[in-house]
Amino acid sequence: VRAWAFAARSLVRQPGRSGLGILGVAAVGALLFDMLLLSRGLVVSLERILATAGFDVRVIATDSPFLYGPRITNAAAATAAIAALPEVEEVVPLRFGETTAAGPGGRELKVYFLGAEPGSRSPWTLVAGRDLPATEEPWLVVNPNFARTFGVSPGGRATLRGGCTREGEALPPLTFGVAGIVEFPFDENAALTAATRLAGFRGLCGQHRADEADLFLVAAHERHGPVAAVKAIRGLRPDLHAFSNEEMVERFQQVGFSYFRQISTVLSSVTLFFGFLLITVLLTVSVNQRFAEIATLRALGFSRRRVVVDVLCQSVLLVGAGGVLSLPLGLLLATWLDTILRALPEIPASLHFFVFHGRALWLQGGLLGLTALAAALYPMRLVARLPIAATLRDEVVG
Amino acid sequence: MPAGRRWPPSLLLVLAAALGPSTTAARAAEDEPPGILVSRQLLASERLAVGDVVSLSSDPSGTRPRAFRIAGAYEPTPDPARLGGASLEARLHLPDLIALTRDPADPSSGESVGAINVRLADPGDAEAFARDLSARLPGLVVRPTRPPKQAGDAFVVLDRFHLAIALVTVIASSIFLLALMVMLVDERREMVAVLRLIGLRRRRILLQVFVEGLLIAAAGALSGIVLAAALQGGFNHFFQWRYDTALVFVRITPSIVWRSVLLAVPLGALASLAASWSLLRRGILSLARR
Repeated sequence: VRAWAFAARSLVRQPGRSGLGILGVAAVGALLFDMLLLSRGLVVSLERILATAGFDVRVIATDSPFLYGPRITNAAAATAAIAALPEVEEVVPLRFGETTAAGPGGRELKVYFLGAEPGSRSPWTLVAGRDLPATEEPWLVVNPNFARTFGVSPGGRATLRGGCTREGEALPPLTFGVAGIVEFPFDENAALTAATRLAGFRGLCGQHRADEADLFLVAAHERHGPVAAVKAIRGLRPDLHAFSNEEMVERFQQVGFSYFRQISTVLSSVTLFFGFLLITVLLTVSVNQRFAEIATLRALGFSRRRVVVDVLCQSVLLVGAGGVLSLPLGLLLATWLDTILRALPEIPASLHFFVFHGRALWLQGGLLGLTALAAALYPMRLVARLPIAATLRDEVVG
Repeated sequence: MPAGRRWPPSLLLVLAAALGPSTTAARAAEDEPPGILVSRQLLASERLAVGDVVSLSSDPSGTRPRAFRIAGAYEPTPDPARLGGASLEARLHLPDLIALTRDPADPSSGESVGAINVRLADPGDAEAFARDLSARLPGLVVRPTRPPKQAGDAFVVLDRFHLAIALVTVIASSIFLLALMVMLVDERREMVAVLRLIGLRRRRILLQVFVEGLLIAAAGALSGIVLAAALQGGFNHFFQWRYDTALVFVRITPSIVWRSVLLAVPLGALASLAASWSLLRRGILSLARR
């Protein structure tokens, strides 16, 4: 009988313990798989969002944490200078603020407020109505939450309370026409978000220090690519900080996502150790109980190598079956854990913590394979050193 | 550190500490730079020392710098929301910060502050005080420094996440335990047969197995707690080193210990009972393999 078939029969002969072993590996494997998804989930998710946002380069005033540092001054001149670079196709300056608007029942609700100067491309996706018109009259594009909460639709009007910057001045409210409903790539789940042109933003938020921007979104020219665009911007304005999407992800990876990466590393290690322990104990006890059987097989002519391979095959079958079962279990568990974590404040609705990626699958397979091998080492050693005559005398005759 | 070193403002999150009257006015020598405090992390990253004179500017290009003397270093209040980001901070006296950041084109910029901290005679009144003040001054956002835990609070969410992970771990451990107990009980099959043959009833043997399981589970739970307590310091030291923070990441409290014991001991005892039950249901001859 071939080693695999023999090992499978040994496992089937004891369905209770084999089933529990496979279930145990499946549970441990599911957790391991989830931790592997978590280790790069945010990065993969952010990469996808940035890739679909339509801009390759982001420019900020300093290298301090995003939106904590000072703004870009003389923004209009900087926008024009950067847009004139041959490596750059388009520049969209952005301002961020927070304001309020009277919601149902007169309750003041927080509204994320953006000022932007979109050209041929916008930092949002149009869902209904039209994009911001380039007129003097103040117009808004709003997200679906805003439209639903305040009961507005394209062609309607919305009034926002004045004063929306970090300085928090109290200014008169302003009524905007609603041009369209859009989706913002970094919107939170329940966020009420509205955007207008920079003139409208200044109108609502105050005129002083008007020529400023929090961020430039830059689309690199297709011929040159984002790396060349970043280099050109750094050459033109060494006082500003330009980052390609890859650099942004790298930056977030080092700072913002570090905690979850560390957690996933710790839990993956603990989980692997736990799995190793589980399989080692199962195989060792199983081998101990089969000493008589193994000694008999050896006496019948099975080679030492053959019985050792049998133990290894059993380990691989247990871990393999558990590993296969762990994938759907892990995906289900990941959906649950992702739902829990996405309730964190200030997390964009399109950002996910657990994202499937091929690397996780290969790593899962490799790590479980190593665990199967490592867990089988001790019972393999026991089997290899088993004295045939003494064991037969003790276990069978005795 | 050379005197007058220009400090990239991009590195700074400048915090004003309203510590009383302006030091500018009280300063004995007019040309003596005002004192500031810098965070331990900033001191280390820029290789500064107490007594050094540094230049600060509110403009990214470093224009209109002002000289300050480092009067001391402080450990920033650990902020989990900024985990991973270096706390490159400085604390200035409020009048000094206002003078540094004032916009000449905007006279009101010298009259505004970002926030006012209020110390109440009775901290228990914080909620009511915040409500009252919000009603009286509608333009202000007033909130207690310790807001009640809400569903969307970052710590509540992380707590729920860790609980979910713990639940999965408990399920995996229970399966592991059950598999182990099944094998251990199977090993004692002949002994159980002998006990049955000499007249011990199923219930008596089950009680014995239950007590054994209870003792093993209690010993296991105790070992787990001792191991966790031993690893606690290592975890905290590693993460505190990794993130350069004074935050405590793992803290084993009596409540956590009790919760672990209350979960682990009954689970262990139940696993031994469940594993034994299948064996005890068999007939004596089957157990004795006759």
